[in-house]
Amino acid sequence: MTPPPPAESVAAMIRPTPRPRDSVVNRDILNVMRGAGPGYWLLLLLCIVVVHVAGSIWVLQVYKGLGIAGYAHPIFWGAYIVTFVFWVGIAHAGTLISAILYLFRAKWRNAINRSAEAMTIFAVLTAAQFLGIHVGRIWKSYFILPYPNQRGLWVNFKSPLLWDTFAISTYATISAVFLFIGLIPDLAIARDRARGVRKVLYTALALGWQGTATQWKAHNRSVLHLSGLATPLVLSVHSVVSWDFAMSIVPGWHATIFGPYFVAGAIFSGFAMVLTMMIPVRRIFGLEEYITDYHFENMSRFILLTSLIVGYAYGAEYFVSWYSGVEAEQTSFWSRAFGPYWLSTWIMISCNVIFPQLLWFKKVRTHIPTLFVLSVLVNVGMWFERYVIIITGLSREYDPAVWGIYTPSWAEMGIVAGSFAFFCMFFLIFLKLFPVVAIAEVKEIVIHEKEHPEGDWEHAHTYGEIH
Amino acid sequence: MPTLVGIFEQPLCVADVSRRLRSRGYNDLQIYSPVPSHEIDSALDEKPSRVRIFTLIGGLAGVTTGYAMTIWMANNWQIMLGGKPFSSIPPYTVIAFELTILFGGLMTALGLFVVGKLPRKKLDPEYQRRFSSEEFGLVVRCRDRDVSEIEALMRDGHATEVEVVEA
Repeated sequence: MTPPPPAESVAAMIRPTPRPRDSVVNRDILNVMRGAGPGYWLLLLLCIVVVHVAGSIWVLQVYKGLGIAGYAHPIFWGAYIVTFVFWVGIAHAGTLISAILYLFRAKWRNAINRSAEAMTIFAVLTAAQFLGIHVGRIWKSYFILPYPNQRGLWVNFKSPLLWDTFAISTYATISAVFLFIGLIPDLAIARDRARGVRKVLYTALALGWQGTATQWKAHNRSVLHLSGLATPLVLSVHSVVSWDFAMSIVPGWHATIFGPYFVAGAIFSGFAMVLTMMIPVRRIFGLEEYITDYHFENMSRFILLTSLIVGYAYGAEYFVSWYSGVEAEQTSFWSRAFGPYWLSTWIMISCNVIFPQLLWFKKVRTHIPTLFVLSVLVNVGMWFERYVIIITGLSREYDPAVWGIYTPSWAEMGIVAGSFAFFCMFFLIFLKLFPVVAIAEVKEIVIHEKEHPEGDWEHAHTYGEIH
Repeated sequence: MPTLVGIFEQPLCVADVSRRLRSRGYNDLQIYSPVPSHEIDSALDEKPSRVRIFTLIGGLAGVTTGYAMTIWMANNWQIMLGGKPFSSIPPYTVIAFELTILFGGLMTALGLFVVGKLPRKKLDPEYQRRFSSEEFGLVVRCRDRDVSEIEALMRDGHATEVEVVEA
């Protein structure tokens, strides 16, 4: 007679089936949004305080007038316009990564596109404020829009400033649409896993996304079309910004090279800003598995390439001013390098052309601390590039009798500092509210690798595009 | 009417099984996928998505608005600027270009909402949390007598689980 089975084996038989495990990618990336340490709150508080200080300075400027800015005849475009162009430039990496690299099927963009797109939105928001700050009478800034009014007047569509209004507002809108559409599937992932207030928030924002075949098909199509539309948009926006200068007859501004020169500079500074922000984020949140050194290396290659284009443009400007034989042009460029603003010019040349040459070496491209320092230097250099173009151009126009010197005032520098805090504040909030890496897109590669474990890397990274 | 929910781990398997089901005349199918996949895109519907019509209409509306608005406004209250014609095409091209992209992009988003039936208040009863993890769901509505055939087909196509829900 066989003995009865031991009791624990019966217990094992009635054990409920284990709940299906959640995806590791979901867990890792949603973890970034969970909880926040004192360091995070302190940093956020610091940003908010600086934004408020800058806001108070702006209120003072509205009360007292633009006199508290450092404007001095003949220089009436100062630090505000410099910073405006700087932030518009920063905004270029996001859509470049999302749209252009998407069309080129560069799959490595998956790890960084979300954060770069978010930076685009925040940078455009920051930039747009400077137009309002610069005009002084903020309550009249809506005059730039073509709206029916009692005077029966319309705006001047032949003015580059108006083109700029259309370019920047289109860019802000399309970038926001792009970011949101990319976020919908990830918001559904967050919705399925959230509780409490967050559940309500993500349920509303995910719009009832379920990932059905029809939804994905429409989603893929929309992303493809938005990429197709955003690609010329990226190139046009900074070209239009450059025409604010190039369409005038100021020596040092009136150059046909300005469009490509500004676009290359924008991509250069945009990638540098993505590196500056993402290197600490990756370290703090332990995202090394998703954002690898390979991604940083690719971005540094972009920085090197655009640095060479920018360096070429600096050289071409000097060559053309010499070759033109126009004395005003030659004087303007001479004083740029050896005049009162020589320091700014040499900071610009060293940070944008000389230091990035280190990126020729693989050791530098894969050494993260060095990369971080270089990216900060590029940001500094690109702010000075705009400073040099705008200020030296205006300070040395045709008639030496109206030459002048401009130094940014404390009020301007306060507001400029506030703009960095404004940008960081939004990015910090974004980190805790939305997935910082595009989960569905990363998972696409994970699932594909499960399907083809032999590891055809090249195939895996070009897989799964639109049909 | 019974509903079968097959759970799969590979997009290729879902696409394959749904094609086989369709060739046998089962057309009430729905696929839930955690990731975009071109196999699944073409499994239920070979035609390209209708979103492209929306983008086209938006783009055309944008370019028309851009030129019409600038030319009309410049002629509505004429101000001579630098001796240039009132209906000056080159500068207005910048506006028309930006509006093409603006309207095209917004219409693309609208296209996604219309075609993807978003936003919606309630999720399908068959939708499960694991479809936003790493598993794929294939939902088939069928007659009682077809249940065993479909289940066999799904299991044959590497379904990890097949649930039958009576509705």
